[in-house]
Amino acid sequence: MRQIAIYGKGGIGKSTTTQNLTAALASIGKRVMQIGCDPKADSTRMLLGGKAQATVLDTMRDNGTAGVTLDVVRHTGFGGIKCVEAGGPEPGVGCAGRGVITAIKLLEELGAYNEEFDFVFYDVLGDVVCGGFAMPIREGYAKEIYIVASGELMALYAANNICKGIVKFAENGDARLGGIICNSRNVDNERELLLEFSKKIGSQLIQFVPRDNIVQRAEINRKTVIDFDPACIQAEVYRSLAKNIIENRNFVIPKPMAMQELEDMMVEFGIVER
Amino acid sequence: MTRSVTINPPKMCQPMGAILAYMGVHGCVPLVHGSQGCSTYPRYNIARHFRESAEVAVSSLSEDAAVFGGAQNLTEAIKNIKSRLSPEAIGICTTCMSETIGDDVKLISKKALQDESTKIFPASTPSYVGTHLTGYDNALRTLVETLAVNGEPNNKINIITGVINPGDIRELKNMLRLMNVQSIFLSDISETLDSPILPGGHKPLLPEGGTKLVDIADSANSLGTIAICRTAGSAAVYLKNKFNVPAILDPAPIGVANTDMFVQNICLLSGKPIPREIEIERGRLIDSMVDVHHYMFGRKVAIFGDPDIVSAMVRFFAEAGMKPTVAMTATKHKDFAPDIKAVNSEYKTDTQILEGTDLYEFHEVVKTHGAELIVGNSKGKDIADDENIPLVRVGFPVYDRVGVYRYPIIGYNGSIYLLDLMTNAILGHKYDPNKLHQ
Repeated sequence: MRQIAIYGKGGIGKSTTTQNLTAALASIGKRVMQIGCDPKADSTRMLLGGKAQATVLDTMRDNGTAGVTLDVVRHTGFGGIKCVEAGGPEPGVGCAGRGVITAIKLLEELGAYNEEFDFVFYDVLGDVVCGGFAMPIREGYAKEIYIVASGELMALYAANNICKGIVKFAENGDARLGGIICNSRNVDNERELLLEFSKKIGSQLIQFVPRDNIVQRAEINRKTVIDFDPACIQAEVYRSLAKNIIENRNFVIPKPMAMQELEDMMVEFGIVER
Repeated sequence: MTRSVTINPPKMCQPMGAILAYMGVHGCVPLVHGSQGCSTYPRYNIARHFRESAEVAVSSLSEDAAVFGGAQNLTEAIKNIKSRLSPEAIGICTTCMSETIGDDVKLISKKALQDESTKIFPASTPSYVGTHLTGYDNALRTLVETLAVNGEPNNKINIITGVINPGDIRELKNMLRLMNVQSIFLSDISETLDSPILPGGHKPLLPEGGTKLVDIADSANSLGTIAICRTAGSAAVYLKNKFNVPAILDPAPIGVANTDMFVQNICLLSGKPIPREIEIERGRLIDSMVDVHHYMFGRKVAIFGDPDIVSAMVRFFAEAGMKPTVAMTATKHKDFAPDIKAVNSEYKTDTQILEGTDLYEFHEVVKTHGAELIVGNSKGKDIADDENIPLVRVGFPVYDRVGVYRYPIIGYNGSIYLLDLMTNAILGHKYDPNKLHQ
């Protein structure tokens, strides 16, 4: 069982990418579980054809820990993918980070990991803002990390920051960076920039995902592209990503860049003008 | 010596101090917004020190509250307290957990309580910042900030006591009575944590006594505020800045000079002369120092506790001819070291200053600099046993003796009592009991 965490700047397309990736894996017969670690709880909606109502934490709040069973909080989606949403507090209250810790511990107690999975994916909210959001990589759950980024400065800035987090946890554990997934924003020279960025931090660009409106159309229909139109080019891109991840042997402790270095690189690639 | 571990720290967390401040307010129920243990620990300390049951509520946060926020628990707690006790006030203190998840206690408590019949004091008291004195200070300032309003001058003097015993507060009141000065105590645990069992009555759930809310409101109209605990003086500073109430922040009135200063401050603020009775009390203290001089002269004493009490005791012991060897406090305060240094230079003593450290370090310095007597709370017992010297129990908590809270060590009378305690401890320890009365 390979456990994989997907990080990246908020709004970069982590959930979309992760769902298309897991759908692609499932479509070639891989047994997959996807755990959404975001209070918004919308990480698995395209796999389930709509938003899951019972998140782990909502159920815990309403019915107590005893009320949380796998039947209640885990739903089977496209291609037999087991979907779980950790859930979390309303904006502005409580501690979402603690929520991630609580939810993962609870899933473990419930035996969610006991089944034969080829892959378990954690789709984690934005940045590694606190210890809670590092939970999937700090206690030996996910040992592989992929970062979704684009050619925009803030996306790379966030990716670089996440690398700093990975370095910290790599000291004590086995968490390693498996590569950068570029979810294209149609920025000029984007592929070259991402190749350079991946190289600079000592990793690889594992897939370049071009921008295609079919993703939007599928999303409106609450489906992944793999499910909505398996024959389209974009579906082939996600299958390629799945294949690259299956075959990936390149796991590193990243070398984050200094902020100045990052900005210089942006200028060099003509993304930002001095 | 560098150490990366604290061993036996003689300090407690902020909610402990905040609860003591709230317990000195009439009809006020302290409410800890935190996990169960955050109220158990202070209640345990209060029960074994004051031998009094302590009504302390808790919002009982658990895992789900950590994730979703404690608003629901706090709201329920406030409603429960109101329906069960309908107290005049609820004094809230926060804890590690509620501070870390960032609960907006002010807003939640305001929403929970629709009517104005119960006052709410929302103090922020994160346990991982400062000590019990920080918590005491934060709660007291919250009380004053919430209640104090402009009104007619009241000719009273506000007294901020810090964490002292009911016996100490009663002695302060005696002195003020002798000086014919009216006062407002911020706050006053003398009756609430040492409450009588009166004929025919049982002890009410919320004890009589404590400073009334109207009096705290009136503190804005006083002649001045005297804080005998500088670590808990922020309410005095607030009253000065907001209402122009003069503020005097001094160490505790223990010993001759510090009590003189306290008396002079009362005179300064009230414009009243020093009465004969006070002079007689002072004279008795001087006499008692002479009486025991041959027992106590040159005695090495090691002291630990809260900074304003320790620095006052160091001065007093030097006045009485003793040699304070170690002065230790776990609560840091900028005036502590200068206080002790001043005593060292006036009395040619060589008191070692330990600040923000623990009893392990205290013990190490006791070993190198010597002590024939330790003055501090019950946590000093093991050191005294190891060194085979007596421990005179003062401060908080004292849980292995009864009644310590009843008797003052403050003011001229309290100083006499403290000196006698110390002398008797030396006599009991150094001399054959059969020859004591010779």
